[in-house]
Amino acid sequence: MNDENILSVKDLEMSFFTSAGEVKAVDKISFDIKRGEILGIVGESGSGKSASMLSIMGLQGSSGRIKSGSIFFQGRDITTLNMKEIRGKNISMIFQDPMTSLNPVLTIGYQLEEPLKRHKWNGNIRERSIKMLEKVGIVPAVQRLKQYPHEFSGGQRQRIMIAMSMICNPELLIADEPTTALDVTVQAQILKLMKDLQQETKMSIILITHDLGIIAGYADRVLVMYGGKIMEQGTRREIFYSTSHPYTKGLLRSVPNPDKPKERLIPIEGQPPNLLNPPKGCPYVKRCPEAMKICLENKPEKNILSETHSYSCWLGVKNNNA
Amino acid sequence: MLKVSGLKKFFDTPDGKLYSVNGVSFEIKRGETLGLVGESGCGKTTTGRTIIKLYEPDEGKIIFDGHDITNITPEKMLPFRKKMQMIFQDPYASLNPRMTVGEIVREPMIIHGVNKISKDEHHDRVNHLLKLVGLNSEQAGRYPHEFSGGQRQRIGIARALAVEPEFIICDEPISALDVSIQAQIVNMLEDLQKKLCLTYLFIAHDLSMVKHISSRVAVMYLGKIVELADSDELYSRPLHPYTISLLSSIPIPDPDKSDQTKKRKSVVLEGEIPSALNPPSGCNFHTRCPKAKPECKNFDTILKDIGNGHLCACPFA
Repeated sequence: MNDENILSVKDLEMSFFTSAGEVKAVDKISFDIKRGEILGIVGESGSGKSASMLSIMGLQGSSGRIKSGSIFFQGRDITTLNMKEIRGKNISMIFQDPMTSLNPVLTIGYQLEEPLKRHKWNGNIRERSIKMLEKVGIVPAVQRLKQYPHEFSGGQRQRIMIAMSMICNPELLIADEPTTALDVTVQAQILKLMKDLQQETKMSIILITHDLGIIAGYADRVLVMYGGKIMEQGTRREIFYSTSHPYTKGLLRSVPNPDKPKERLIPIEGQPPNLLNPPKGCPYVKRCPEAMKICLENKPEKNILSETHSYSCWLGVKNNNA
Repeated sequence: MLKVSGLKKFFDTPDGKLYSVNGVSFEIKRGETLGLVGESGCGKTTTGRTIIKLYEPDEGKIIFDGHDITNITPEKMLPFRKKMQMIFQDPYASLNPRMTVGEIVREPMIIHGVNKISKDEHHDRVNHLLKLVGLNSEQAGRYPHEFSGGQRQRIGIARALAVEPEFIICDEPISALDVSIQAQIVNMLEDLQKKLCLTYLFIAHDLSMVKHISSRVAVMYLGKIVELADSDELYSRPLHPYTISLLSSIPIPDPDKSDQTKKRKSVVLEGEIPSALNPPSGCNFHTRCPKAKPECKNFDTILKDIGNGHLCACPFA
């Protein structure tokens, strides 16, 4: 694997400006993704995982604004670029809901060819669409190109979305909860397909999910997000076997493991923070069983455990000084 | 407590008859939790709704507490509704946005004329119920939009408990909630079950949660139950090819185990669930079954007990 970073996000801060006030969706996050790597991002609704991805894609909308920080993609800061050139060609995205992310009044052939035309594909556009459709298992491709989205099932539509997102050979694919709306057996098919295609093309994938099982099965490295911040990051094994942040620990305890005998679940008490009025210190302070006084007042510092593993918590600072 | 036999429910659609529930039989004992799992469109929600008679069954029998409620009129059903309640999947759509939480929880008591009690007593009971589900009585005057998803699900549960039911159908009660909140609700359902001697039919597609909460689990595929067993038995010794592939596709939150599973057997099921408009003949799983034989198209499957109450519909398992 080449160690070159394909994407570097540095101190990214992004807010949505709503009628109720400023929602601080992403609060100074930094991370890298290497070529050919699958980076998993876990977090609950409102943790800022989707908002940070929309910032990378330049899709934050009219109410969202990147307040500070930079996003370097292949050496260029894309926050200052016209994303239309990059979106769909170098970076593309798959969304959660395959039912609404295809245009119902256009054939899937038309929708597949659109990115090729827009980015001036040099090659036979029709051949490329047929090849991609076959690759994701929609056959007979020639006939199916003429069909409309309603003629496909949810799993098939997500396959079509994958074909479409990969049609220009992107270097980075962002998959935002790609299987949440699908059944488990179909979910297994789609994840396997994505992994196979990734190994074939050596692209990088950012896989956003709330399912720790999917992270354990498919991610090389993991970011754990909460309240707009990265709480912990590390390799898959570091996150699951040397879990360091109280939030990550809480998440892992609150899901049943079907391979283990039944025991009572330990939920994380309370509710996620309201980002209209975020806590001054650590966003997790109100739900953290190990919270200290300093956690209320000051944002936690980052504790570096290894080259790949770090977490943001005052507990680590305290342990280091002790 | 509940006995369902040969239950069928069809829907007429412009494209023909939809075989939503196609001959389902099971029993639920008092105080236990029966999990009902399957993929979307397999008929698990329709089964739940037909049992509580939100839909009229087309065939079969529903015996509740020794009474045949299959064909009784809505008026006669009313006293049974008091004993059977339902918790719905979507806590955003299942609460009336124009009623306060207090009114929502009070409404079933008014409909069922609980003990013909006074307004004050209603008020006390609402407060008691809210406390029971972990909310506080000051919140009774607020509207649903002021609550988060997990809190709304708690309100839905308080409403279901208002008439002191014995049997509750939980239709995907946690699938719309965040992971950290799911465990809160599941623990609460378990506590309430013990405290109030409740019996649950727990419908879900999250197989690990179903294993966690259920004493027995039934697996549905295309309107039929293919396997039913004690939950530990079902998960450790699945017999039906569909159950096996369903279980092997659960993502396990443990990297090493998940790598092992991938190496050992990748039973990634081909294709998708066929349309219930035109279900396959014979064993309806034969179109996707990795072990299908030519004769599977031809015979009708029956759930057979293969010992210890482990029922399986596949004769080759």
